[in-house]
Amino acid sequence: MSTIVKNLMDTDIADFSVKYATKLGASYSETRLVSLDGNSFVLKNSIPEISAFGKTCGIGMRIILNGHMGFMSTNNLDKSNIRTEIEKTISMLKRGEKIAVEEELSREESFKVKDIVKQKEKMQDKSADEKLALLTDIDKALVSQKFEVSGRYLTISDVMENKYFVTSEGTEIHQEIPRINVVYLLTVGSGQKSVQRYQTYNGVGGWEILKDWNLIKTLVDESKSLNDNIVNGIKAPKGVIDVIAAPEVVGIAVHESTGHPYEADRIFGREGAQAGESFVTEKMLGEQIGSGIVNVVDDPQLENNGGYYRFDDEGVKARRKFLIKDGKINEFLHNRSTAAKMNLKSNGSARAAEYSVEPIVRMSNTFMLPGKLSEEELIEDVKLGVYMKNFTEWNIDDKRFNQRYIGSEAYLIKNGKICEPVKRPVLEVTTPTFYSSIDGLSKKVGFVGGSCGKGEPMQGIPVTMGGPTIRLRNIKLGG
Amino acid sequence: MDEGLIEYILKKSKEKGADDVVVNLGESTSSQIKFVHNKIVTIKNSVDSACSIFLVKDKKVVETLIQDLSTKNIDNTITKLIKFANISQPNPNYVCIAQGPFKYKKAESPDKKLVNIGDKTVDLLETGINSALSAGANRTAGTITTEVANSILGTSNNVFAKDFGASIAFSIRAFAEKDASGHGVSCSTTLKDFNPTEAGTHAGEIAKSALNPQLGIAGKYDIVFEPLAFAGFLEHTMDSASIFSVEAGFSFFANKLNKQVANNIVNLNDHGYINGGLGSGICDAEGVPTQNNTVIKDGVLKTYLHNSSTAARYNTKTTANAGLISPNPTNIVLAPGKLTQDELIKSIKHGLLVTNLWYTRFQNYSTGDFSTIPRDGIFLIEDGKITKSIKDIRISDNMLNLLNNISGIAKNQQQIVSWEVGTPTFTPSVLVKNVNVTKSTQ
Repeated sequence: MSTIVKNLMDTDIADFSVKYATKLGASYSETRLVSLDGNSFVLKNSIPEISAFGKTCGIGMRIILNGHMGFMSTNNLDKSNIRTEIEKTISMLKRGEKIAVEEELSREESFKVKDIVKQKEKMQDKSADEKLALLTDIDKALVSQKFEVSGRYLTISDVMENKYFVTSEGTEIHQEIPRINVVYLLTVGSGQKSVQRYQTYNGVGGWEILKDWNLIKTLVDESKSLNDNIVNGIKAPKGVIDVIAAPEVVGIAVHESTGHPYEADRIFGREGAQAGESFVTEKMLGEQIGSGIVNVVDDPQLENNGGYYRFDDEGVKARRKFLIKDGKINEFLHNRSTAAKMNLKSNGSARAAEYSVEPIVRMSNTFMLPGKLSEEELIEDVKLGVYMKNFTEWNIDDKRFNQRYIGSEAYLIKNGKICEPVKRPVLEVTTPTFYSSIDGLSKKVGFVGGSCGKGEPMQGIPVTMGGPTIRLRNIKLGG
Repeated sequence: MDEGLIEYILKKSKEKGADDVVVNLGESTSSQIKFVHNKIVTIKNSVDSACSIFLVKDKKVVETLIQDLSTKNIDNTITKLIKFANISQPNPNYVCIAQGPFKYKKAESPDKKLVNIGDKTVDLLETGINSALSAGANRTAGTITTEVANSILGTSNNVFAKDFGASIAFSIRAFAEKDASGHGVSCSTTLKDFNPTEAGTHAGEIAKSALNPQLGIAGKYDIVFEPLAFAGFLEHTMDSASIFSVEAGFSFFANKLNKQVANNIVNLNDHGYINGGLGSGICDAEGVPTQNNTVIKDGVLKTYLHNSSTAARYNTKTTANAGLISPNPTNIVLAPGKLTQDELIKSIKHGLLVTNLWYTRFQNYSTGDFSTIPRDGIFLIEDGKITKSIKDIRISDNMLNLLNNISGIAKNQQQIVSWEVGTPTFTPSVLVKNVNVTKSTQ
């Protein structure tokens, strides 16, 4: 019986499941007992579509039997059901033995800890009315503009994530993580003359996080910029020029073309069927991938960011990982399985989106480290260029080598000065070209949130991404 | 499952002042085997049950999901829902849920062989992998998934419906080299129509043909999309037809009702009870019997997808696509043509064969501007023949252009469910003229 968690969840059943799997011959077993208790609100063009609340609780369990990995999940926490499902999983593991791989996990320290994220203003104390009011206030501000914001789709959700993780190796970790998520789609103008802005803000903590996001001002400013782009935007220049990319663009680029290809499970082919593999190989560690000023990290310990955690979903202590250091490929994201393959310790990158899915290698808060320049200094010696403040359409191939970002709010730069807005500049480059072209970094960093998809079944997890404003020299702008 | 429970929730909710109530009690059992490098890496089993309660009071629309079905928790939940409704804002767009009772088609019994398949999925998995290897692949990765689900729906408007289903899905990606891959899928509601051999063979053949790819060149191409590739476009098309998408700005079909939105050879249906469809059921989320809706007829958009509430606002009839808030597609069906895929290829002077797509993202949902990335085998077609394997290209175009430029539809209709395609989609291979292809600058 766990002594760590009291009056939150029935941890006995988690402890029981681990012991029962061991009794049936498992060499290793772990159970995550996860409870999610949350609310969500949708406002569409001033209409409150629906308000919802809900609480789910279930267990996800991994079992290694004769070297082979099985996973079981259920929200029926009766002991008899847990026994049946463990037995069923073990039976299938035995049946599949002849064509199953041997699974090895890195040896890791065991912990018995509790981590509760504090909230200055508890989201549980806020009424449904107050939460919806946040959206209606934004909506009113958008409607009062002198131009048409024809589409206003606004959502907010909050959830208290309560996790108890126990293993046959003696780990018992309880984490309580409150999350807030805001997603919106704005349409300014109409028909072929419209532009759209889709964005996510996510964070870990209490209601106070929302003040930092300053959503009314943010969305009003964004809609003004979109309108300015419709009314005054000129054609984006093409050809070899300089591009100044602001934190939001840098964030998506490092997430897609550093974070993902450095996930070691991709590199070893485990996600090859769907999420894809990687252009990066084990042999490329230490290889120069970008200019010497480029440093990219993934850091789960950034408090208040959406990808925050102190222990990953294999019970490994989280730490900052230097994926690119001084322009060189430095480290991959690992769970215990991929770490064992490379004779390493895990760097705490295993996450599961909910109780019903296995933990796999994931990012958390991924960002480029800042430099020493101001944004003005980055821009002042650009003769002809484009400043991309944020982006709209984007994608990247499944090896993470060919990436594309289309500027949403973007401006022409002439002789070191920001001039008129430009319409949809297209940055479509290879990954090495992107990182090798960077010759300047601002000292200020920014972050945006997102939901990152990976796994079978698809797991969407909260992450943030960001970095400084960067200067890409002599890069070909297309479209 | 306890049918009396639904009646209890409906009765209690009405007693507490609810105007409309929809209760859905569901349970599912699923298993998935994941394989990598031709070997099993994980075997998963899941058993879950939950009850959703949708409640409307004075036009205030609230919803919850519960797992604890004790009387005490149900009573507490209903009290909380009513309180939640009381402090919420009314939704002036809400009109009603459907008025029952309805007469339903007799639901097909789920395939017993599939329901009782147990660990025999391991054999089917091996069959699929070996087929890909025999066809020329040297390694494979993918999943085989089975699911059995039951649900009971009850509403305060005299609806009561019981439904059940079973499905099996196999997805295999085969590699002949790091840059030479192919993907095959097979999904079905019966074991007899499930064909891992065909999926594995197809993936392996593409992988082998894709060896030694050369960098693609940007430009305009006539493209034949295989079913796995084209299904994603059709899902975006049908999602755009939901009236909720239209209102929220997620649709390129706003103000397009009864207008030409596709080439006149395009006939696209949302078919809620098609035989073998993984999305088939006897009724939608408010209990209206499922329908076969003609959404695009001869290239003209004939209807948006509605539930009872949205239909009432637009002075039309529901299409039986509830989603209680957002109408959703069930099974998407593109009517097949008469040609073979080979005949489509033969008709092309300068084009491509695209076997799979990934990462489709919109620049603007309301205009339909998007880009997407062909992956797995991509083949250059010159003078009616496949001449080489290519790589590293992107399709950057507009959905309305793409639908209007469809100039050939083959007869090889296949049901697709994949990572990129969540709604079961029946589609053959499709030829689209004059598609814009871009590529990265080096």
